[in-house]
Formats: sequence, C-alpha cells, structure tokens
Amino acid sequence: MQILEIFLGILTAMGGFVEVGELTFMLNAGSKFDYRLLWVVALGTIGIMVYGEIAGRIAAVRGQPVFNVVRERAGIRLGLLTLVSATLVCLLTCAAEIGGIALLWQLMSGLPYRLLIALALAFLLVVVWCLPFKWIERVFGLFGLFMVVFMVVVWMAHPDWGAVAAGFVPTLPEGPTDQRLLQSYYAVALLSSVMLPYETYFYASGGIEDKWKAKDVPMNRVIVIIGFLLGGALAGSIMIVGKSLLGPLQIEAQLPGTAAIVVAMKIGRVGMWCALTGMFFAFAGAAIETALSCAYNIAQFFGWPYGKKRAPRTASRFALTWIAAFVLAALIVLTGVDPIRVVEYSIVFSVVILPLTYFPLMALSRDREVMGEHVNGVLANTLGWFYFVLVCIVAAAAIPLLILTHGGEG
Amino acid sequence: MSTRKPRGELDIYRRVLDHVLLDADGLPCGIVDEIEAEGGLGEPLAIVTLLVGPAAWTRRLPAFFAIVAHLLAGSRIVRVPWSEVAEIGEQIRLCSSAVELGLGVADRRAGRWLAHLPLSEEHPE
Repeated sequence: MQILEIFLGILTAMGGFVEVGELTFMLNAGSKFDYRLLWVVALGTIGIMVYGEIAGRIAAVRGQPVFNVVRERAGIRLGLLTLVSATLVCLLTCAAEIGGIALLWQLMSGLPYRLLIALALAFLLVVVWCLPFKWIERVFGLFGLFMVVFMVVVWMAHPDWGAVAAGFVPTLPEGPTDQRLLQSYYAVALLSSVMLPYETYFYASGGIEDKWKAKDVPMNRVIVIIGFLLGGALAGSIMIVGKSLLGPLQIEAQLPGTAAIVVAMKIGRVGMWCALTGMFFAFAGAAIETALSCAYNIAQFFGWPYGKKRAPRTASRFALTWIAAFVLAALIVLTGVDPIRVVEYSIVFSVVILPLTYFPLMALSRDREVMGEHVNGVLANTLGWFYFVLVCIVAAAAIPLLILTHGGEG
Repeated sequence: MSTRKPRGELDIYRRVLDHVLLDADGLPCGIVDEIEAEGGLGEPLAIVTLLVGPAAWTRRLPAFFAIVAHLLAGSRIVRVPWSEVAEIGEQIRLCSSAVELGLGVADRRAGRWLAHLPLSEEHPE
C-alpha cells in the first residue's frame, strides 16, 4: 500500500511541478540563451528538494506545518511580515494561474477573456468545495503529467546532447552589459520559479492533512527526491523546446498557448491537445495550491482549525479564506492586467521572501532537542545552509535586476 | 513528543509563547499570543494566564502596525487560566473545550453562516 502511495506521490509531485510562470520563463530562457541556463534549473531543483524534505520531515516528526514553525521560531513581528509577504505572493501567483486558464480556454473557444476568468473562478470554487483533498491532489497532479509531451518533443527535436550537457556547467553571463543583466535576471527568475515557496507550504500542509508520522520520513524523502527530480527534468525539457523550436524563429512566448503551438509544430494535433490538457491541469492545480496555501498559512499562523479534511462548517475561517483568495485573485486579472506580467512579478518577489520562511525551518530542523533522531544530518545541514546563503544573495539581487532590466524586457 | 505540564522551571519563550492551543477535543483554538505572569522582585515568575486574541498579539507589534492590525483584526481577547493547561508539547493541550473557554468564537459564528451552503457539513474524505 505504501509503495502505491509513494508512486502516486512521485507522479503528483512531478505533474504539479510546472505552472504558468515557470512555463513561460523556461520557454523564453531557452529561446534567448540557448542551453546556458540549464544549470540554474538543476540548482533550483536540488534546492526545492532540500527545502521540501526539511518541511515534510518537520510535518511528519512534529506535526507542524510551515507557518506554525514560522510563528513559533520567528515570533509575531517577523512572522507577521513573512505571512503578509507570502500571502501577497501566493495571491499574485493564483491570479496569474487563473489568467492562464482563461487564456487557454480562449485559445480553444474564442470566448471573451473576462467571461472565461469568471468561469474559471466558478470552476475552481466548485472543485475545491466539493472534492476531497486526496482527489484534488491526485487529479490535478496526475493529469498535469500530460505535460510530459514536452519531453517527447525534445526527443523528436534531436537536440545537440553535447550542448545540452554543457548547459549544466555553471557559466557567467557574457556579452554587452544589458545582455549580462538580462541573463542574470533570467537566472534569478528561473531559480525562483523552480523553488516557488507555495509548493513547500502546500506540501507540508498536505503531510499534516495525510497525518504523516515519523515513520513516513523515508517516504517523504523518496517523494521529494524522485518527484522533484522528474519535475525538474520536465522543466528542463521545456527550456530545450524553447531553444530548439522558438529560438531559431526568434519568438518570445507571450502567451501560454505558444507552448501548445510549439508542440503542434512537432507532433501535430494530438500533441497540441496533450499539451493543452497538461497545461490546464497544471495551471488549475497551481491556482488551487496557491489559494489553499493562503488559507493554510493564515490558519496555521493564528491557530485556527484548518484543513480540507474538516467540513467547511467546522473550519469556517479557513474555508472563507481560500474562497476570498480565489475571488481576490480573479479580481486582479479581471482588471485587465497581463497574467504573464503578474506571474513574472510574483516569481521575482517569491525569491525575496524565501529566506524568511527558510530560516525558521532550518533553525528547527537542526535542533536535536525537538527533532530527536530526525535532526538534520551532515548533508541536510550543509545543503540547507548553502541554499540559505544562496537564496539570500539571490533575494538581494532580484529587485535591482527587475528594475535594471525593465522587468525582463532588456 | 508531548509532555505533561511541567511543575518546575519552564522556558516560556521556547515552549509556551506562540504555540498552538488544542482544546480537550483536539481542535485548534488559537495561539498563545501573550502570557501574564506574577512574582515579586527576586522571586521566580509564575504563569497565571495565557492571553489569546488580536488584542494580545497586536500589542507586541511596533506602534503604527499595532494600530493598523487592531483596526483590521479587532480587539477581542480571551484569558485562559494556566490551570486549564493539561499538556505542553508541540502544541499546548487544554483541559476544557473551546466553547467552555470562549475560544474559537469567530469560527463558530462564520460556521453558522456557512451552514446555509450545500455540502458545508460534509466531511470530504
């Protein structure tokens, strides 16, 4: 039974790895910089494994999700700052995902964009209200696996595998100053898009929902390592597709539908429908995870009853918070703001808040008094502190790079 | 890792403040937002009451943010006597139910409103 649980967990982690921002950043990074930023995808994938493993282990051993730990270790002042920033970033990401769904539906139906935003909002509200947690996790994660079609496109595009391998060797940006700044901006954005903090909030809260215990620590480790590794491979494939098919035509993906058209160029109508299906479930899954993350984080921080496994009547503030998150996110995109622009900002601001949630988790996971035999080992400590320093540096560079590159326009 | 309520010295910052409260039924019913203690000069402090609610945590914020948070979150405060604490661990377990202690009032009020919607009573497993 646990093998099936692990298998489904891995596939769900993989299928839920890519969202609208990551998709467009990966395609454009491949189109603009060939394979030169593949090493950032690898770096970010190991980072999310480290961060996810620690958060999952704390959830299993202590029964504490991320924002319980933030409140306990960072206190009310720094904790509240972290909570407000994380909620705003989750809201922006949710808005972008709802916009992404509406853009996909518009591509398929031709109906007005704003009407489709309203329909997407209604769809998401009904799904989260009616479906149990396990179903939401599995349906959106597993159908998101249709995105594997991008791996098929890579295989059919016959890339130069030597050049692909060379892309995993870290290199400094080259060329004139504006190009170097732009490449640095993309490196920051790609790292952030792979290490999006909501994934960890949701993952740890899922562990609490599934009542993980200390015996589930090895399962947590296997799921984050294999699931996120496969998710990282999928993200890398999208970058290779961007290099192989968009780069030669000097196309920059401004809409998520561009990704489906790229697939259609290589494997026709069936491939396009697979890509559209995968993108729809991936975007909807991310919208649900971000809205629920808003509610999980606030409920955990203030000690409210929470959880999709509780009836809305008994976790009422939790339920009202995720409903409000969906409605606010839909209102953001209803203003007419470009969802891709929204997600670009949310991704850059995500990395700014990463150290705030990362530090309390590191502080707790290395405390033998509270973690007992499940305290960080040498590897977890070394990687954990390495990534903490890295995300601090990246967080400091993110806003200046956003300004200097005019939001990635160059 | 739960432990029974210790009788001797206790690190209240590490083990009590900002910890989740669970009522007798295991339902989360707030966070220890502030602690009231008593004890004379040179004497050991003894915890008297745990304070729960916006009026308790907003006063730990810098003045400007305290005013804003007070306007947004309200001024409710609930005093939980220390004698109500049954166990101290990752969470603090209380002897009585949230209803008896006056905790979780906002949730019950919102719950009555949500009860008008279909499936709101369902346990979606």
